[in-house]
Amino acid sequence: MSETARNRLMLAIALIMAAIYLFPLYWMYVTSLKSGSEMFANPPSFWPSSAQWQTFAFVWESRNMGRYLWNSTVIAFGSVALIALLGTGCAYVLARYRNVWVDIGLFLILMLQVLPASLMITPIFVGFTQVGLLDYPRFAVILAIAAKSMPFFVVLVRATFMAVPMELEEAALVDGNSRVGAFYKIVLPLARNGILVSAILIFMQAFGEFVYSKSMIQDVSLQPASVGLNSFMGPNTSEWNNIMAYATMYVTPILAIFVLLQRRIVSGLTSGALK
Amino acid sequence: MRRILSSVRDGRGFDIVLVGVPFAFLFALAGLPLIYNILMSFQEVDMFSLGSVIRPFVGVDNYVALFRQPETWPILTNTLIFVVGSIAGQFVIGFGLALFFWTNFPGASWLRGLFLVSWVMPGLVVGAIWNWILSGDFGVLNFFLRESGLITANIFWRSDPSFSLWAVVIANIWLGTSFNMILLSVGLSAIPGDLYEAADMDGANAWQRFWTITLPMMRSTIGAIIALGLIFTLQQFDLFAAITDGGPNNSSNVAQYWAWDLSFRQYDFGRGATISVIMTVFVMFAAAVYVRSTRHEVRG
Repeated sequence: MSETARNRLMLAIALIMAAIYLFPLYWMYVTSLKSGSEMFANPPSFWPSSAQWQTFAFVWESRNMGRYLWNSTVIAFGSVALIALLGTGCAYVLARYRNVWVDIGLFLILMLQVLPASLMITPIFVGFTQVGLLDYPRFAVILAIAAKSMPFFVVLVRATFMAVPMELEEAALVDGNSRVGAFYKIVLPLARNGILVSAILIFMQAFGEFVYSKSMIQDVSLQPASVGLNSFMGPNTSEWNNIMAYATMYVTPILAIFVLLQRRIVSGLTSGALK
Repeated sequence: MRRILSSVRDGRGFDIVLVGVPFAFLFALAGLPLIYNILMSFQEVDMFSLGSVIRPFVGVDNYVALFRQPETWPILTNTLIFVVGSIAGQFVIGFGLALFFWTNFPGASWLRGLFLVSWVMPGLVVGAIWNWILSGDFGVLNFFLRESGLITANIFWRSDPSFSLWAVVIANIWLGTSFNMILLSVGLSAIPGDLYEAADMDGANAWQRFWTITLPMMRSTIGAIIALGLIFTLQQFDLFAAITDGGPNNSSNVAQYWAWDLSFRQYDFGRGATISVIMTVFVMFAAAVYVRSTRHEVRG
């Protein structure tokens, strides 16, 4: 078999596997366009006979999605801002030196990275109640997410800083920059892409965060879209086309960002998680 | 004072501030809760004593009572099944896909990256989609299984106690496979190619090459991925909330979901903290394995 024929065959198999793997995603989009009766047709149809675009407007209005998505955005942006502010410098220091203290710091960071949110929520909730933080529930969620996701950010960004040659920073110091100056003018710009990609990853995580928001935000008008989706799905729900429309409006922006930046996100992820 | 300021601007102090503030933050929001959790597991905490730190001290009563509860062992067994089932599925499928994409044809890396959408989606959305796919009468999975002749009657994935846990396992395998595959691909591409050339000259077939080169060379990667899988499956919460809610009758409940359920639905924070402490020990153990198997790379 010639090289091109082999490549084409492999590509065809790969496309089929991707199609199978991504079928659940396809099913979400198709279901969201079906009418109430077509959704329950047997055998199921794999292409909507008449696309019900008005479902989206209906769900957007009736579920008050604008407010939910706004809250998700506020929480995600708040978390990313806090994490980037605190985590970038931490990652820089952990990348720049190599001694026993850095090893201990890294070990602590990696250990904190793994604590499940559903286990941490009990002490966080009780503690936050006692110090009165639950009066600002979205801020409380931002704090909790920041503590949960910052270790991951530090690990990813540290890998980026490791790739910045130390000689450049030393040259800037020789030229009379202070440490602060060299950090802002030389190191940060060189690591900008890596920081940005890690921040986007954290944003996507925080945008879908559920445990903390569900437990700490009682006020419906402050809840994010994940909690809204959860309360939309009652135990015996049958309006799956509406739920899938909700899910579509919720994830499509995330998927768009991911597909656009796919190569960078994947390489940023792999450089941090294993190396 | 001026000396400290100038040190912060241009010296050792700069590093100490950069690393000190985040660690103080992490200590306040992750370290203290961990300690507080242990304290609460020895106390009786309910809605009324929520506001005070000094509560009735009950010793190990919470632990004893916990293991006397009839649902404890089934739930711990469920957790074990969930973890082993999920990791096995994610790893085997992920490894298969990684080996396939390793053959390197045009478009391979882009397509491989596309798989990762399952991992970046909010867990609740993944849960919602699978909830619909797995639904009993109108679920599309039952349709496929019927058409292929594997089953004759519909499986009620979410409401049948013997399938409800597997419903979540299936969704979790889907969610985590892509991440496994990406990391395994990284490990595969790090194996030096001349090893295979040498094996070729010695006349080794594909099967022998896999067992004598690929697997041994991947040992530390595989260790790290299994440990990561353990960490991620023990964090999985959203899928339970979205698909079965732990039911019916706890048949799909796992420890991490139960801990939340005890605290936030039954308002027994003391017992919720007790399970959290037990599970945290497990997670820490997995984390130690993970850190060990990536240690030399982390130091790199």
